[in-house]
Amino acid sequence: MKGGDVHRFSFVERVVHWVVGVTFVYLLLTGLAFSHPSLFWITSVVGGGPAARVLHPWIGLLYSAGLVAMIALWIRDMGISRDEIAWLKAIRSYATHDKSRVPPVGKYNPGQKLFFWLMGALGVAHFVSGLPLWLPDGILGMGPFHGGTANAMRVAHYLTTIGGGLLLIMHVYLGTLAFPGTARAMLQGTVSEAWAKHHHPLWDADESGRVEQAPETEAVPRP
Amino acid sequence: MSQTSGPLAIKRISASPDPGPGIRRSPEYAKLVDISRCIGCKGCEVACKEWNELKIEPTYNFGSYQSHEDLSPDTWLLMRFKEIQDLQTGSIEWLIKKDACLHCEEPGCLYACPSPGAIVQYENGIVDFNQEQCIGCQYCVSGCPFDVPRFNPETRKVYKCNMCVDRVEAGLEPACVKTCPTNAISWGSKPDMVELAHRKVDRLQGRGFAQATLYDPAGVGGTHMMYVVPHGDRLGDYDLPEDPTASPGALAALAGLKKLGATAMGLGVVAAALHYLGFGPERPEEPGAAP
Repeated sequence: MKGGDVHRFSFVERVVHWVVGVTFVYLLLTGLAFSHPSLFWITSVVGGGPAARVLHPWIGLLYSAGLVAMIALWIRDMGISRDEIAWLKAIRSYATHDKSRVPPVGKYNPGQKLFFWLMGALGVAHFVSGLPLWLPDGILGMGPFHGGTANAMRVAHYLTTIGGGLLLIMHVYLGTLAFPGTARAMLQGTVSEAWAKHHHPLWDADESGRVEQAPETEAVPRP
Repeated sequence: MSQTSGPLAIKRISASPDPGPGIRRSPEYAKLVDISRCIGCKGCEVACKEWNELKIEPTYNFGSYQSHEDLSPDTWLLMRFKEIQDLQTGSIEWLIKKDACLHCEEPGCLYACPSPGAIVQYENGIVDFNQEQCIGCQYCVSGCPFDVPRFNPETRKVYKCNMCVDRVEAGLEPACVKTCPTNAISWGSKPDMVELAHRKVDRLQGRGFAQATLYDPAGVGGTHMMYVVPHGDRLGDYDLPEDPTASPGALAALAGLKKLGATAMGLGVVAAALHYLGFGPERPEEPGAAP
């Protein structure tokens, strides 16, 4: 352990993240199976087509609940301030690992904040467009959603899925291969101090970056 | 009436990128319903229930001569009765429509279905649901321009008229055709039925139904159940859509969007891979680590 670990995500935050993450992947896979004949085979690994059709909306509810919890947990940290516009303008340098041209950020960089807001917005769109597809005969006094309404909702549901799928690819890539040491934050809850200083220097300086000194290792004086 | 038979050959399969094998050819059949000759006996409803062994559903009086209020998973054929009063003359007209699957040449249900093989169309024009492949999503219900398929929440499958495909394969006419006492329903090859329909329309026009017409809507490529409608200018009174389409705007767009969406996701993965190859990982400098 080099210079101690920095605590980044609590147990509750990690559980909520993985509820959202696992359910999203399930929803994406079954959704793709329903929309692309060549991917219909995916249903066979989740108990068959009829089971996938029954489960997809319920898992969707779980996903929605997870998203709500996630928003409640993190919304305070996700405001994009005016001085962070500079970071967004330097996003090209961020993407090419040209660190010297990227303004330092706090606990979350504006890209992560945008991801948060986009996933939240897509979640609402998924929920609203999914309900009529789940219960085409109507729900809560609304409907039935046959014909044009249902077909328009299918288009909306599909478009939000593609948006979410693209964001997922980016999210997983950036959190693993592109920035090693990041996934640890969502698995064990901690990151190395070097990681924190490198990627989120203003957060490390902030009080929220509590340093955990592991008691069983010999104390290394912090610089 | 020309009797027709022959083995079933598949023309279209739901959620399948491949076309039907197209080895066997068979003539297209059609059912022609001459609304002007229907006396409303509902014998066809009974024959449909009997042949297809559909559950009897209790009926009750809801102020109409109609047996049931709507089609259902166990009622694939319903004679709809409508009383229309002409406000000018005060006369009442009693319109009867045989409501069942029209077996479109371009089947909206089949195009909407995501489950491979749950809906098939045979070369003879019959559109058939294979309930064992059905996943219960009900996209076919929304894809149908005629509001025909009905979902059974217990079995979680969708049902509709199959044109007595088992009888047709054996060279018999559908049960409703067989039983009709006034020959209001005819059965034969599609060209024969279109020709017969034109003769019927001519006769009706000669009898004063100037707007009599054949209902074989082009928007769905024509149907394999066609109507001779005495009041062709009042299709709405029969609940027949003026211009039905197999691929309503939204679904037509969806077909294109799906190609785009799948491509975008594939490109997303490729972009991530290229980024990794081009720029590699960004690691923090570990204190004390060798550069």
